Amino acid sequence: MTLLRRGAIGVLMVIASAAVAPELWTPAHYATQFREAADAEPSGRFPLGTDRLGRDRLSRLVYGTRVSLLLAPAAALLSCGAAALMGGSAAVAGGLTETGIMALADLCLSLPWLFLLLTMRALLPLNVSPQTSIALTFLLLGVLGWAGPARVIFATVRKLQSSDFILQAHAAGLGPRQVFLRHLTPNLAPVLLAQFCVAVPLYVLAEATLGMLGLGVAEPLPSWGNILRELESGNALSQPWLLVPVVLLALVVASFQAVMPAQTGEKDYA
Amino acid sequence: MLLFFSNFARQLPRVAILTVFSGLFCGLMMHYAPGAQVDDRELNLRLNQQSIETIRAEKAMQGRLGSVVAQYIGRLRHGDLGYSQSQSAPVGELIRQNAPATAHELLFGLTGSWLLALGLAIPFGASSAYKVFDMAAALLSGLLLSLPTALLAYLCLSSTSLAGAGVDLVFVLALAPRIFRVVKNLLREAYSASPVQMCRALGIGELRILVRQVLPSVGSPLLALAATSVAMALGVAIPIESICDVAGLGRLAWQAALSRDLFLLINLTMLMALTTSLAMAAADAIRSSGQRVSPKSSRMTQRTSAMSAGSESLALEPAV
Repeated sequence: MTLLRRGAIGVLMVIASAAVAPELWTPAHYATQFREAADAEPSGRFPLGTDRLGRDRLSRLVYGTRVSLLLAPAAALLSCGAAALMGGSAAVAGGLTETGIMALADLCLSLPWLFLLLTMRALLPLNVSPQTSIALTFLLLGVLGWAGPARVIFATVRKLQSSDFILQAHAAGLGPRQVFLRHLTPNLAPVLLAQFCVAVPLYVLAEATLGMLGLGVAEPLPSWGNILRELESGNALSQPWLLVPVVLLALVVASFQAVMPAQTGEKDYA
Repeated sequence: MLLFFSNFARQLPRVAILTVFSGLFCGLMMHYAPGAQVDDRELNLRLNQQSIETIRAEKAMQGRLGSVVAQYIGRLRHGDLGYSQSQSAPVGELIRQNAPATAHELLFGLTGSWLLALGLAIPFGASSAYKVFDMAAALLSGLLLSLPTALLAYLCLSSTSLAGAGVDLVFVLALAPRIFRVVKNLLREAYSASPVQMCRALGIGELRILVRQVLPSVGSPLLALAATSVAMALGVAIPIESICDVAGLGRLAWQAALSRDLFLLINLTMLMALTTSLAMAAADAIRSSGQRVSPKSSRMTQRTSAMSAGSESLALEPAV
């Protein structure tokens, strides 16, 4: 493992452990308002200042990090599970099932992903509780992200089915279930892990984009998307502490990207 | 060339089917969306009962999906794409008004991205002597890939010195890193091939090697990537136009989604699907014709094609 990857894993672990129990060390709850100190500059009391509603930025950033770091992998798990199910079924069943599933995947891939995501999110209720908005946002990411990985899984299963060891397993009298459990599943695991590792940073970025366009997690619950929305005011250069969430987001996504090749065995494009 | 056109033509029925189904899919989603049968104009206290009844009748009409499809197809035969309730204008006119801005952005953004990506990738692909610069370019592209496009748009708007460059610059910042990484890897692989090494040993100039050996061998994957980058650019147009407030198709799509404007959203969905599918069909046709046509540099082409297939996950990863 290279130094870069070790460093990236270290960064992710530090950030994740800081975000796992923010109530233990952050100055305040994410929704607590200090009305006497609205839009305050960084100080000993508020290390990153407060927003226009007087909420502590550091607390909101840490709570928001927890939301993104917990739910992006959950959404990635969902999309990889759906991809395994759909891609695997299409490859194993063949015929009409294959045509139907692959046509559905093509349909999803024929639209720009962000457009599909925005449209689907806008069609769902926007006036919902913050908890529901979180569930809807990440559920949508998980549900809409299946098509790309499904095509990869489909191709992999097809390739495996015609490989010598599977043919030998069939010739030895193993049933379809045993072949699936003993031979296909272990060989699919690295591919699924690769898809999972690609999906996590992608979903973190997608949630941030949705949040910045006003379609992500609802206030007062913080997420990277609605925290970054503060930059809309255009004060980033006069108030550089507003850029701390940008640095954290870039650090997390870059760390995921740096960790990826080690996990998946892919070629290092960095 | 003929092979490309025949491969491309073979994919056109698929593109047409995908376009039609994407419109139907959008219509279905809107039909079953929660609150789809309610119109917020009913809350307008200035409307009298008759106007409210008219709105309800319109909504009830839209509630029957079959009649909406029949109505849409009937109008389409006369070149009418329907009427946008949210923008109070015919959809065709809205698309005509907004398309030039998006086309301009795509043209300038893609040209800038490709020039920047090629300008950086060619020296770094050709030689490993500029290690520090190569590392800096890799870090910068990694950083830009770690930021959402909407954030790049915010940052460019925040910076007074960059605000003049505006939308085109955001397109370049969003697309160039993706193109650069793939192109650099393709070129590096092509430069490491034995014919290139032999040319270098014979003292042939770098420019000639690039033009005669390297570019022909990576031409097919590069063209496929160019077609794919159109689809990527279309994806990033939505957040960029929405945040930079540019009157283009991306912002129109965002507004249509937010206001649940049935006809506008269906038409934009079909337009997006058509453009993306055509770009992907072109990429596929280039890839398959490139694989069949170039037996002369077979080994090198195979290598670079394999490389491009390996890079595909990176290149085709949705741009957010």
